[in-house]
Amino acid sequence: MSAATTPAGALPASPGLVRRFGGDGGFRTVTALVAAGLAAILVFGGALAGGPLGLSPYLVNLVGQLAAFALLALALDLIWGFAGILSLGHGLYFAIGGYIAAMHLLKHGFAVSGVVPDFMQFMGWSEFPAFWWGLESFPYALLLVVLVSGTVAFLFGYVSFRSKVGGVYFAIITQALVYVAMLLMFRNDTGFGGNNGMTGFSVIFGFPVGSAGLTVGLTAASLAVLLTALLGLRWLMTGRYGRLVLACRDDEVRLRTLGYRTLWLKLSVWCLSAVLAAVAGMLYVPQVGIINPRLLSPELSIEIAVWVAIGGRGYLTGAVLGAIFVNALKFWLATRAPELWPFILSGLVVLVVLLLPNGFSDAGREISRLGDRRGRGRTLESLRRTLLRERGA
Amino acid sequence: MQKFLDRWGRLAAAVFLIAVAGFSGAARAQGTDAAALDRPGFVAGLCGGAGPMAQAIAGGLESLAAASPEDVTWMAGIVAALGARQLRCVEPGGLILTAGAATDAVTGATVSPPGSPRTPVLNLRSRGAVENLEAALTLLSSRDAPSRQRALALLSRRPDAVPPTVFARATDLAATTAERDAIAELSVIAALSSPDMPARLAAIAGLAAEPNRRTLLRLETLREDPAYGTDTAFRDTVDAAIADSSFWVKLSSVLSVAYNGISYASILFIAALGLAVIFGLMGVINLAQGEFIMLGAYTAFMVQEGVRSVAPGLIDFYLIIAVPFVFLVTALLGILVEATIVRHLYRRPLMTLLATWAVSLFLINLVRVTFGTQNLQFVTPSYVTGGFTLVGDFIVTYNRLFAIVFAAAVLALAWFVLQRTGLGLNIRTVTQNRDMAGCIGIPTRRVDRLAFGLGSGLAGLAGLALAPIYNVNPLMGTNFIIESFMVVVLGGVGTIGGTLIASLGIGQINVMIEPLYGAVAAKVIVLLLIIAFIQWRPEGLFPAPGRRK
Repeated sequence: MSAATTPAGALPASPGLVRRFGGDGGFRTVTALVAAGLAAILVFGGALAGGPLGLSPYLVNLVGQLAAFALLALALDLIWGFAGILSLGHGLYFAIGGYIAAMHLLKHGFAVSGVVPDFMQFMGWSEFPAFWWGLESFPYALLLVVLVSGTVAFLFGYVSFRSKVGGVYFAIITQALVYVAMLLMFRNDTGFGGNNGMTGFSVIFGFPVGSAGLTVGLTAASLAVLLTALLGLRWLMTGRYGRLVLACRDDEVRLRTLGYRTLWLKLSVWCLSAVLAAVAGMLYVPQVGIINPRLLSPELSIEIAVWVAIGGRGYLTGAVLGAIFVNALKFWLATRAPELWPFILSGLVVLVVLLLPNGFSDAGREISRLGDRRGRGRTLESLRRTLLRERGA
Repeated sequence: MQKFLDRWGRLAAAVFLIAVAGFSGAARAQGTDAAALDRPGFVAGLCGGAGPMAQAIAGGLESLAAASPEDVTWMAGIVAALGARQLRCVEPGGLILTAGAATDAVTGATVSPPGSPRTPVLNLRSRGAVENLEAALTLLSSRDAPSRQRALALLSRRPDAVPPTVFARATDLAATTAERDAIAELSVIAALSSPDMPARLAAIAGLAAEPNRRTLLRLETLREDPAYGTDTAFRDTVDAAIADSSFWVKLSSVLSVAYNGISYASILFIAALGLAVIFGLMGVINLAQGEFIMLGAYTAFMVQEGVRSVAPGLIDFYLIIAVPFVFLVTALLGILVEATIVRHLYRRPLMTLLATWAVSLFLINLVRVTFGTQNLQFVTPSYVTGGFTLVGDFIVTYNRLFAIVFAAAVLALAWFVLQRTGLGLNIRTVTQNRDMAGCIGIPTRRVDRLAFGLGSGLAGLAGLALAPIYNVNPLMGTNFIIESFMVVVLGGVGTIGGTLIASLGIGQINVMIEPLYGAVAAKVIVLLLIIAFIQWRPEGLFPAPGRRK
C-alpha cells in the first residue's frame, strides 16, 4: 500500500527499522503469520493435535487462547489507541461474552446429556433461571453476546460521552464498573454460578470437550475471527471513518467545530470495541473450560491495557503482538518460575512506558529519533510527532 | 431538662435502678421484719408432703432478706441436701446423710442413722421453687464467681417468684458492678409483675430510665397485662414509658448508624487523602496508593516487633511510636517512585496509570516474597478494644473511635501542612496553575516530588490506622484503591474539603444501605450511585475553578 494509507494512527513511516516493527510491513507480516497459523491448523489440524508432528494439543489450545487474547487486545486498542479513550474495564465485555458462552455450553450440554450443571446442584435448583431461556441455540447465544455487550456499552458510553467524561476520570469509572460487576458475580444467588463460576462443559456443537478435533476447531475459529477482525479493522481504520476517529482523538473540539458529531463517533467505536471484546470472551471460555468472576477483576482489565501498551498503541499489529508476547511469556514462566512473573511484568511495563512511549511497534522510530537528535537535528516531522505523543496520552 | 440529662449517663441510670430496687425492698422489709428463721419449722415443712413443702420453700425465700448470715448458710446446706436427695425425714427433724454418717438437719449434731428414713419427693412445681431458693441462697452466701453466675442465670428464668427484699440484699452483696447491674435488672423485672402497684409503677419507670431494645420489648409485653385494661394510672405509666424509651431507642439506632458511617468514612478519608493530594497536583491517579497503605501497615508491624524486642513495656503504645516511622518510610518511597518513574510521565497521565500499576504489582510481590501471604499478627492495644454504652443500644466501640480520632488528627496535619507551611502554599499554587507558578519561580518539579512524598506518607498513615482493625496482608491495598478513587473523583480535584465530604457521604450511604441489602450490595449500589453522579457532574462535587479541559 502507498504511503497515503499508512496504518491508521501511525504517522508516515520513516525507512529502516520502522518498517519491520510497526510500519506497513508490520501489518502484512502479522496478518501473514496469523493466516499461516490458521492455514496450518486447518490443513494439518488433526495430525498436529494428534502429537506425532510435534505440536501437542496443549500447544494448539495455547495458540487458540493467545488468539482470543489478541482479539481482546485489538478491541481495547481500537478504543484506546485509535480513539484515545482508555478503558480499564474491558474485562467486563470479555466476561459478558464468556458468561453467555458458558451458559450456552451448559444448556447445550444439558440438552444433549441431561446433566444438570454443578452450580445448580450446589444451589439446590432444579430448573434453569428464566433468563437462561433459549440459550441452547448457538445463533441466539451469539446474538445475545452482541446485544448485551453492545447495549451495556451503549448505555454507559452514551451517558459518559454526553457529559464529556474523559481521560483519567473515564478510566477510573470503567474500572469501578468492572469491580461492581465482579462483586455482583461473586454472589451465589445471581444465577451465574457465584464465586465458583461455571465449568464442566461436556459438548460443543455435539463434539465432546477435550477431544483433539475440537481443540483444533476452536483454535482455528479463534484464528479465523482474529484474522477477520484484523483485516476488517484495517479496512475500517484506513477509511474515512478511521480518519474521523483519529481526528477525534487528536483534537475533538476542532472536529466538533467542523460540524462532526463526535458523540456518535466515539460511541460507535466504543460499542464496536465492546462487541469485539465480548466475542473474544466467547472464544476464550470454551478453550479454558471455565469461567468465574476473576475474569472481572480490575487487575485483568488493567493487564489488557498493558498488553496494548507494550505492543504499541494505535497499531493493530501492536495490540496483537503485545497480547501474544506478554501472554506467551506468562504461559512459559507459569511452570518455570511463577514467582518471577510479576517482577518481570512490572519491569517490562516500566521500561516500555519510560523508554518506548508507544510500545514495541515504535521501537524503530524511537531509535531513529535518537539518531535525529544526534545527527540531523529536529525535523519538523519529529517535532510534530513529539507534540502528538505528548498530547495523545 | 434535668430528667433528660440524667438519662445520658449509664451510671446515673444504674444508680437510679438500684435506688428503686432498694426503696421497694425497704418498703417490703418493714412488713416481714424480725422473723428469725424457724429452723425446725422449715425442716418439718420440707418433710410434710407437697403442700407444706411449697409453703416452707416460699416462706424460706421470704425470710431470706432478714435472715442472719448463719441462717443463710444453714439453709443453703439444707436446700443443697434436698436437691442432692441427701435429706431424710425422721421424727422429729430431718437428717442429712453424707457418706454413711448422719447429721441432724436442725442442730447439726451427729446422730446414728435410723432404720427406715423417708426421702422427701420434689415434684415439678416445687423443683422450680427449690432452684430459685438455691440460687438466691448462693447469691447471698457463696463467693465463688462461676456458681454466682449460674445462680443469676437460674434466677433470670423466674425472677417474679423472688421477693424484692432478697434482690435488695443480693445487690448489697454483689461482687462486681456487672453483677450488681444484672441483679438490679432482675429485681426490676420481678417488680414488674409484683402484686404491689406502686412497686410496679416504680419498676416501669426504672425500665424506661435505661432504654434499649430489650427493655422496650419488655415494656411492650405489659400492654397485654390485665391491669393495662383496668387501671388507668398503670396504662398511662406504661404508655409514657414506651413512648419515652422508644424515642431513645430510635435515637440510639440513628446515632449508631451515624457513628458507623463516620468511622467507615474516616478510614476512606485517610486512604483517599494522599491520593487526592497527588491527583489534584498532577492529574495523575497513583494506582500504587493502595500498596503504600499496605506498606504503612507493614512498617507499623516492624515497629511493633522492634518495640517488642527493645522495650516490651511500651508495646501498648507502638501505634503512636510508629507514626513518624511509617510516615517517613512511605514518604521516602513515594519520592523514590516519583524521581525514578512518575516524573517522566507528567504529560501522559494515562501512562502514569500503567506505570504506577506496575509499581503496585512490584511492591505486592516484593512484600509477598519477603513476608509471605499470611495476615500479620498485631497486638491490639487496650485503647482499641471494648467500648462503652452511651445511650440505649448505642455502643461507642474504641476501635472505631480510634479510627475517627486518627482521621481527625491526619486531617488536621494535612490541613496544617497545606495551609500553613511554605510547601503547602507551593502545592496549592502549582495545583491552581502550574505554568504560572513556574513563571514566578516556584520550583514546580521539586514541589511535585515533595507532594508525591506527602501523599504517599498520608497513605502510609492510613495503613497504620488500619493495622489494628483490619486484615494486614500483601493484597490489602487493592481492597481500598477503587473506593479511594471514587472518593477522590466524587470530591473533585484535590481539595481536602471535597475529599472529606465525599468520604463522609459515601460512608454514611454505605452504612445506611448495608442493613437493608447486605455489605456487597451496599458497595455495589454506592459505586453505581457515584458512577451516575459523575455523569451528572463530571468534575465532582467541588470542581477546580477554571475552564474545563
